[in-house]
Amino acid sequence: MEGSIEVLKGGLALMGYGLAAVGPGIGIGIVVGNAITAMARQPEMAGTVRTTMFLGIAFTEALALIGFVLFFIA
Amino acid sequence: MVEQMILASECDVANEVICAPADVKELFELPTIFYIGDIAITRTIILIFLAAFIVIALLYFGLRKGSVIPSKFQAVVESLVQFVRKDVAEDIIGPEGVRYAPYLTAMFLFLLVGNLFEITPLINFPITSRMAIPAFLAIVTWLIFVIVGFYKNGFSYFLDIVWPKSVPIGLRWLVGLIELFSVFLLRPLTLAVRLFANLVAGHLMLTLLLGSGAIFIWNFADAGAKSLVGVAWFAFGLGIYLFEIVVAVLQAYIFTLLSAVYIQSSVHPEH
Repeated sequence: MEGSIEVLKGGLALMGYGLAAVGPGIGIGIVVGNAITAMARQPEMAGTVRTTMFLGIAFTEALALIGFVLFFIA
Repeated sequence: MVEQMILASECDVANEVICAPADVKELFELPTIFYIGDIAITRTIILIFLAAFIVIALLYFGLRKGSVIPSKFQAVVESLVQFVRKDVAEDIIGPEGVRYAPYLTAMFLFLLVGNLFEITPLINFPITSRMAIPAFLAIVTWLIFVIVGFYKNGFSYFLDIVWPKSVPIGLRWLVGLIELFSVFLLRPLTLAVRLFANLVAGHLMLTLLLGSGAIFIWNFADAGAKSLVGVAWFAFGLGIYLFEIVVAVLQAYIFTLLSAVYIQSSVHPEH
């Protein structure tokens, strides 16, 4: 009985992490896609766009990382 | 070599598809090598000092002469320092950014070396995959941006965060609450966890794939035709290896970049 609850907890934590990764996955896709559009339209701004893109990715990624931490805590 | 790996002693080649340790911690909590007094010296601690030593040696020997026509080595070190100073400190923080450039440079180089330990043959352990180092650096960054914020703007730094003037009055308390939570708690937390999680994931993937691959191929007498699985794991691991070079450099860069952004938000809080 103890063991099966442990396994269940692990499975639920894994599902939680999977769900937490969905939003940031879509978000990073949008960030990078728009950054590529911007770079293609104005190649001379590529450096600035790239820095801002990394910042956007870093902020979007935060939610997935919190999910990753909760997966280890659970 | 293969027999000495932690994975090898537990892996049942005949029955398993991939070698995984019973507990993930085994891959990260390295055994003690010797004691100094009561302090247990593990391989991680030696690697931390090695990383610091490499950074100091790099900067000292690279910039010692400072000749107008730089040697190849000096040019490389100069471009690294110049990259952090110009592209991170000055571009993000502004002209005042030069004051924070030494901290950012030291942090960037230390993290770069520490991250690249992940893929350095014979070391193969990223020191940044232990939470202590990212957490410590994130706390230092947190202290810098909080102290600079209060020093430059007085108490209005805190007031602008919890009571933002640009937001409609009905929503101010809600935005203020979210901002308070995000600036003082989530910023250092995500800063540390981002680096830590990326390196943990990378080290895990590399160890499991390359380790399993090596063990399966080494023990082909027991595994038989299954050692072909090992070849597949090893090839996959080599692909991840290339990817991890990019991750190691990128994460050091992002940590430094975000530190600069956070300091910037304290130096010029209105935008």
